[in-house]
Amino acid sequence: MSNFKRASMAGAGSKSASSSAAMAAGGNNKNGSILNALRATTMIDSKPVLPAEILVTILDYLPVSDLLRFARTSRRMREMVYDDTRWVARLRSMGVWDEAEARRRFEEVMKRRREAAERAERERLAAAAAAGRGQHVIPGQTQHLFPVLQQQQPPPPPPVITTTLFDAGEEELRRKRIAEEQQKREQAIREAAQRRAVEEMEGLQDGFETMKVGGATSGGGALGGLLPTAAQQKDPFSDPEALLNVIKNARSIRGHARQEYGKIYGALAPFYFDLAKAKSHTDPVVFRVFRDPERQAQMLANLRTFAKSDWAAGWRQREEKLATMAGIFESAVLHEFETGYEFWDVDGRMHKYAHVLDLLNGGTAAVELFIQKHPIFSDKEVLANPMDCVNQALADDVTLEPSRRFFEVLTAKVNEQADIIQRVFPKPAEVFWLLMGKIRDDILTDYVTPLFDETHERSLAAYVKAVSGLFEQTLQFFRTVNAPKDEKNPKEQGALAKEFALKVFEQHLDLYLADELDYFTQQAEAEVGEWEKKLSEQDATAESFYMGSFTNRQADKKDFLTSFKKVVMMPVSVLPSLPLGSPFASKPAVTPTTATTAAANGGELQAPENPEQSRPVSPSLAAPGIVDRTGSPLPDKAPTDELAAKAALMTSRLEGIKSLFSIEVALSLVHNAKSSLGRAAVFIQLGGQAGGEAREQCEAIFVALLRILGGRHIKPGFDKAVAHLSQYNPREVSHHDKGGVAPLVTFIELVNVGDLISQMIDVFYEQQLTTPKIADRNDFLDPAGLAKKKFEQMLDESVAAGLNKGIDVLMDEVEYVCATTQQPTDYNPTMTTDPFNDAASISGMSVTTEGTTGSSSNHHSSSSNNNNRKSRYKSGTPSIWSLPSLPGTPTTPGGGSSNSNTNSLGPQDIGPTPTALRIRDLVASHTSMLTGSTDKSMLDVFNGEVGLRLFAAVCKHLKRQRISTEGAIKLIADVNLYYEYIRTLKNNDLLAYFKALRELSQIYLIDAKHHAKEMATIIADNERFSGVFRAEEVYEYAERRADWYSVRKEVERAMYGLECVVM
Amino acid sequence: MAENDERALQRVSLQSNDGQVITVDRVVAERSLLIKNLIEDLGDEAVMNEAIPLPNVNEPVLRKVVEWCEHHRKDPPQTTEDENDSRKKSTEIDEWDQKFMQVDQEMLFEIILAANYMDIKPLLDVGCKTVANMIKGKSPEEIRKTFNITNDFTPEEEEQIRRENEWAEDR
Repeated sequence: MSNFKRASMAGAGSKSASSSAAMAAGGNNKNGSILNALRATTMIDSKPVLPAEILVTILDYLPVSDLLRFARTSRRMREMVYDDTRWVARLRSMGVWDEAEARRRFEEVMKRRREAAERAERERLAAAAAAGRGQHVIPGQTQHLFPVLQQQQPPPPPPVITTTLFDAGEEELRRKRIAEEQQKREQAIREAAQRRAVEEMEGLQDGFETMKVGGATSGGGALGGLLPTAAQQKDPFSDPEALLNVIKNARSIRGHARQEYGKIYGALAPFYFDLAKAKSHTDPVVFRVFRDPERQAQMLANLRTFAKSDWAAGWRQREEKLATMAGIFESAVLHEFETGYEFWDVDGRMHKYAHVLDLLNGGTAAVELFIQKHPIFSDKEVLANPMDCVNQALADDVTLEPSRRFFEVLTAKVNEQADIIQRVFPKPAEVFWLLMGKIRDDILTDYVTPLFDETHERSLAAYVKAVSGLFEQTLQFFRTVNAPKDEKNPKEQGALAKEFALKVFEQHLDLYLADELDYFTQQAEAEVGEWEKKLSEQDATAESFYMGSFTNRQADKKDFLTSFKKVVMMPVSVLPSLPLGSPFASKPAVTPTTATTAAANGGELQAPENPEQSRPVSPSLAAPGIVDRTGSPLPDKAPTDELAAKAALMTSRLEGIKSLFSIEVALSLVHNAKSSLGRAAVFIQLGGQAGGEAREQCEAIFVALLRILGGRHIKPGFDKAVAHLSQYNPREVSHHDKGGVAPLVTFIELVNVGDLISQMIDVFYEQQLTTPKIADRNDFLDPAGLAKKKFEQMLDESVAAGLNKGIDVLMDEVEYVCATTQQPTDYNPTMTTDPFNDAASISGMSVTTEGTTGSSSNHHSSSSNNNNRKSRYKSGTPSIWSLPSLPGTPTTPGGGSSNSNTNSLGPQDIGPTPTALRIRDLVASHTSMLTGSTDKSMLDVFNGEVGLRLFAAVCKHLKRQRISTEGAIKLIADVNLYYEYIRTLKNNDLLAYFKALRELSQIYLIDAKHHAKEMATIIADNERFSGVFRAEEVYEYAERRADWYSVRKEVERAMYGLECVVM
Repeated sequence: MAENDERALQRVSLQSNDGQVITVDRVVAERSLLIKNLIEDLGDEAVMNEAIPLPNVNEPVLRKVVEWCEHHRKDPPQTTEDENDSRKKSTEIDEWDQKFMQVDQEMLFEIILAANYMDIKPLLDVGCKTVANMIKGKSPEEIRKTFNITNDFTPEEEEQIRRENEWAEDR
């Protein structure tokens, strides 16, 4: 402070600046200098003349009349006032300025001017006759300037070019005329008003009296009163229509905004200011000049628009006044509308006054009144009791028939109303949907909510059914009503319908979706649970395994799937919820025919039924056999449709695995899932969040289906089957004549069914989830897809685990068969036993090979075998190492037949031994069973493993035998049999083993006595066995020759090249 | 908060073109956007220590302006950029302002100029409205006199303009 003072005293100029800078604190040099610079400047001009920018601001606050008077003061002021933007702003505030239109006009004008200029140029060049006129054209002059230019010209000489540019001149003239006329008119009005005011005061004009009274009593009267009694007084307006439309007719012309605004102002301002000054609603001239309510409304609306361009002081009061007047007018009209409404005078008063209100302010008041008091909301016919749906149904169920009727009635009523609305209102679509909104809130919600509450309390099944069903009906309702067309806002009725339906169901949706999933899970669990319970009851009765008919499994499956597909594709309602007792009490055994006929006249099946298609279905060979065998323990429900028939057929065929899992249970689960999905999927079409939630829920249902079907049903079945397999002991089973290992057969059956179910699920996924776009197949994170994959994986794993066990079991069986059925004489018909190799060792060997698990039966069988051998040994000729070339050797009593075989070598005996045949059949039947039930790679692995194990088993078996030269032929036949079988498996690696085996079997055929050397060569010949057997191994096999001990020396000598090593 | 309190206590000196210094509260001075921006730009200290020179404003006018600012110190601060729509509807002049503006015409104009210079929009508005009210109902000749405008129209020209705009003539 003090600094500053001193600085200022120090004087002016740079000196003071520097001193003040010195005084100022540290870094303020610069700032100080600015202050000083400011101080140094002096104002010279102190004359109080306001600069233009302030004048412009002042002009903004001026009322129009003063503004234009201001324009008359000087050229500069006129330019300021006439500035086009000032007037454009006013037009814009009324919403009548269209920039695009202005631009278009401007461009048109420019074009015309160019043409005019060219023409003028031509004229001048041609003759130069009208040279003076041509000069008027100034090309390149902007249109903005034009009016100014024109106005600057002295008015008397008529502008020559103006017609080419604009009809501005003409327009102005016209406007002038109108203005003059108007002024006269206004004058008249004013006079009339004054006169009338006087009259009113004197109470002479009863028209006004009635008006006041009428306003208080009936709307009609009020309106009548508002109608001008000024009719008899000379109405000055020759063209009132032009007044009504003055705002609508305003044009957007650059440079002429003032003129355009002038037109509007001229037309409306008198009424506006008059109205603003009016003391009561009887005063305004508007109501006197215009007689009918339509025009009054139009005028009031115009004035309201006009008021927006009034921003001079006091506008607020004026606008309020206008609003009050309009309000009075509106309530009078509304009253009139209401009376018309009460009398249901649709085409008369209602129509008329609705349109009046629309002109005034869009008519919301009338619409509200119309909807508020609409009779439909108290219509007894419409207001049905939602409880009918519950009461008319069976316990815990719901019937949608009453609700359907309810919607029918409602639709009819609404359509009627749509028609009326169309007749009454100028914007029917808007009104109609507002009415629908109210109907939705008051009628539909009231109908739907208690019903849902009630059903929810009673039972879940009824609830889910009710929600889904009613939703569909509601959507249908909104979609089918004949809504009036809306030209302005062509929103799809479908979209609106969705919106409306969503509003009704919004509050129920979450609960419903959750319940739907619960319901399905519950039902599915119950189904599986019940099945398990039934099973455990049945468990007491002996489990019966049997071998199904495997003739044309793949065909059967394909067929079953096609019908499944057909059923899946059917709409939910058509689906019978799995046959529950039907008029066709025929035995399911009559499969082929019943299936078709039942389906044909089952009625419920609407899918096209093609007998040709279903006939090949029935494997006519297989079906009767099965039925016989199973003794038809089938459920005695008759198939009511094709699918059920086939399911029954399948079930009968799969009787053997009914204790593990049931295709029927799977089918019914899928059915339930389908109906649940079908119900929930209805909501998907809503789109948006609700639709998304519904879709997620659909996926959740599918996931639950897989979880229950897979986890609860199939997996335990497989586990059980695998357990069965691992418990299997061939020696415990009394009869082996069925040609299959029972648990393995069962298991393979199971694999088949599992595969079938998996395919079923696949079809279901395609049809129900992918096709309606519930799940996205390409989205690898999609929960449904993941669940499906998991399910398939589970299936595969189970199958793999089972097959692993299955191979073991199969080989056990093979070994068992080998051990029990192979007669020692098979390969050694002469049955001369090696004295050094006694029976005990054989029996011991067999015991060890057959494992410690060997049971009594095992012991028994093997010991009997031993006994057999012993007896043979006892009675046999011990010293003869016979050769085939020695006929007539003393024979053993037990082996007589084989002896004769060797002797005669009859062609009927050259074939393979029964043991080999049985083994072959055993293995082949099991491998073939799998064909088509699992994927090929797994099958290959399985077959390869089976082959290898078979090879090992055969080798092992071989080492346990004693083979004579005669028996060698049989052995070769056996090996050939295996070889042929393996060849069908088309596995080359495997084939190599059996080829080697075939080669190996030939060493028994050699007459070792005479050809010891050759034999030794063969033994050492690795090439021959293509690496499968080493020489040592071959040597081991050679030891199994019946005559080994007699030829051993020779062979060894030949092999090692030593004449005598030990001996 | 502390800063705000401090601010409220700060005083600013304003110097008119005839050398008089008037000290006012900082809030009051900041009704003027010119001063507010100046303080922001130069920093508190520079301004606190020296009087701000207002070379366009003489002492009586400055006192008048300060009086107005004192009275309106509690008004919400004007925003700089809300005046895009300059043609917004005018509001009534409140009673105090009306009385405040009851000065001779020269003073009125000076206040307007000062408000314009010091960038006090509300005061400028009040001034302009007052002027607008002065114009209302006056004939062109009266307006010329009031605003010291020389008529450069010929009588014909003036008549032409009058006729052009007859539509707006008083009702």
